[in-house]
Amino acid sequence: MLQQVMFRYMLEGHTASEEGKLAWVTSGFPVEIPQAMGVTSSYPEQYAAVVGSEKVGPTVCGFAEELGYSQELCSYARSGIGSVLHPDDSPLNGLPPPQALLACNNICGTVLRWYDAVSELTEAPVFLLDTPPLDDGQSAHHMRYVKSGIHKLVDFLSKHFGTELEEGRLREVAELSTQAISLWTQCLEACKKRPSPLNCADRFLAMAPVVSMRGTDHIVEYYQALLDEVNHRVREGVGAIRDERIRLLWDNIPPWFNIFKFFNGLAKRGVVFPADTYTHAWSGSISGDDLFESVATIYSNVYLNKGLDAKVDKMCELIEDYNLDGFILFSVRSCKRYSLGQMVSKELVSERTGVPGVIIEGDMVDSRLFNEAQIQTRIDALLEMLL
Amino acid sequence: MTQKPKYGIGLDLGSTSTKAMLIDRERRVLGSHLLPTGASAVGAAERCLEAIAIQAPIDVSRSITISTGYGRSVIESADRNITEITCHSVGVNHLNPDIRLLIDVGGQDSKVIRIGAKGRPEDFELNDKCSAGTGRFLEVMAGVLEVPLKDFGNLALGSTDPCEISNTCTVFAESEVIGHIGAGKRAEDIAAGIHASMAAKIASLSKRIRSTGPLGLTGGVALNPAFVHYLSIELGEDIWVPEEPQMTGALGAAILALDEGD
Repeated sequence: MLQQVMFRYMLEGHTASEEGKLAWVTSGFPVEIPQAMGVTSSYPEQYAAVVGSEKVGPTVCGFAEELGYSQELCSYARSGIGSVLHPDDSPLNGLPPPQALLACNNICGTVLRWYDAVSELTEAPVFLLDTPPLDDGQSAHHMRYVKSGIHKLVDFLSKHFGTELEEGRLREVAELSTQAISLWTQCLEACKKRPSPLNCADRFLAMAPVVSMRGTDHIVEYYQALLDEVNHRVREGVGAIRDERIRLLWDNIPPWFNIFKFFNGLAKRGVVFPADTYTHAWSGSISGDDLFESVATIYSNVYLNKGLDAKVDKMCELIEDYNLDGFILFSVRSCKRYSLGQMVSKELVSERTGVPGVIIEGDMVDSRLFNEAQIQTRIDALLEMLL
Repeated sequence: MTQKPKYGIGLDLGSTSTKAMLIDRERRVLGSHLLPTGASAVGAAERCLEAIAIQAPIDVSRSITISTGYGRSVIESADRNITEITCHSVGVNHLNPDIRLLIDVGGQDSKVIRIGAKGRPEDFELNDKCSAGTGRFLEVMAGVLEVPLKDFGNLALGSTDPCEISNTCTVFAESEVIGHIGAGKRAEDIAAGIHASMAAKIASLSKRIRSTGPLGLTGGVALNPAFVHYLSIELGEDIWVPEEPQMTGALGAAILALDEGD
């Protein structure tokens, strides 16, 4: 079913591109707005995850490096730029060509420069929804600022795509988005049970529709089916892995090129990951009288747009709620926004929860940065502390 | 094995040297051997085992072997493998149960481990990405100064005016050392600067692990008196060094082998 949903996503992207109605968006962009205005979205970040999974990260990133982009630049950005430069040599022949590039910097600042670079190559204009990082809650002026950005987004889409926003349609889309997110959240929360019905790789794959197709009706069906299956597993006591002995938290994007080998290898040793900070990032329901205010609140308050304290709080909460024995912080070379502060986080989380953790280093797409032996030693040592 | 093992064998396959240790149930050391790992970890392990078999001929069927170190998983004759983090903690705890923070500086990596009251690791940090915090740094620098590695520490202790080595990268520090040689600085002072620079780097790694309690140093670099001296200054603490600082990983593995059989 997941395959069908994702196949449909690709087909709809190509159709929209041919009709001149495709926007590329960042993963934290309020897609409910373009969706309600009849503009279809494609996700370069998700595409980069496909590049990683296909194990061609070094090749596709290499296309961008040949143009002069540094290996220090995010591998999602390098994959995105690389695949635009050489679509025929990239998985799925690249993403369908966009007519607009919609970036929201709630996940990082790199996305803007990345989309600028793609704009130079595709001539699609960039729209930035600016959501300055929050430290201690969202102030009234922050809210006003982001809300005005959403009004500008509507103007931009209206002019560029010749479309309008009707409040009734936005309410429908918001409701569908809320339904999908609510079902997804229930799937995640079912993992509090022992044994956990889902492992990390399961969630990283199953989250694809909620990332890329929020606001559509068919993904509500998909998440309902997933929840039914998860609930069935919980009732029958069927775990995601055979013999659950250690429950760990995962922090950050996974190494896509190694996702099954990595998590299945640990599963054979009785290690399951009932929770992670990444797949829990899509939450929150757009509702209330003022939908723009609701959108501005949800998209400003995403995990990566808040300070280190909020990250530490979230990790501690997951460790306690999901009854976890330890944690693995994946320091992703590409994703500075996610990885910065992990050393301090490790200390604080251990101190507050009393469980040990370990930092491993690597990358989500660029397999050249992933040293298995070094990672193995760190994880083995953590497991020895727990067994 | 139906009977409890009489002997524990620990095999520590480090990147630079391979160590083996044989102990009995009373934790007495019956045999130990160390040699360079070279191109084959398996070959080095076999030669180490042969050496301890000569030192103490035992009934191998009554022993359990645990391998550790970066080559731990390639030894088929080992009953199990355990990381060097756990083995060093157990080995050091056996020799000195008071030690709470262990710094191990090996040939190609360095680690800092907080040891709990039961002798098991509670937290750790590893540096296995940068050679400047490892024995390799001193080896390269001793080569530049044309001093045998075993004499390098004593040479540094003869310094009266240590040079400043600001670079924290082995390759660039080498250029800096060559610059000092060119400027006519004394070998003793350059050597002291090299040791101080590496001690600062290791001290910074060790500060990442919060710990209160006595500090121990193991690994081949612990045999270097100048490194111990500068690290002690950098951390402002006395440092305990076991008699055979390279053997604690193998010792810990041997102890864990006996525990395994219990």
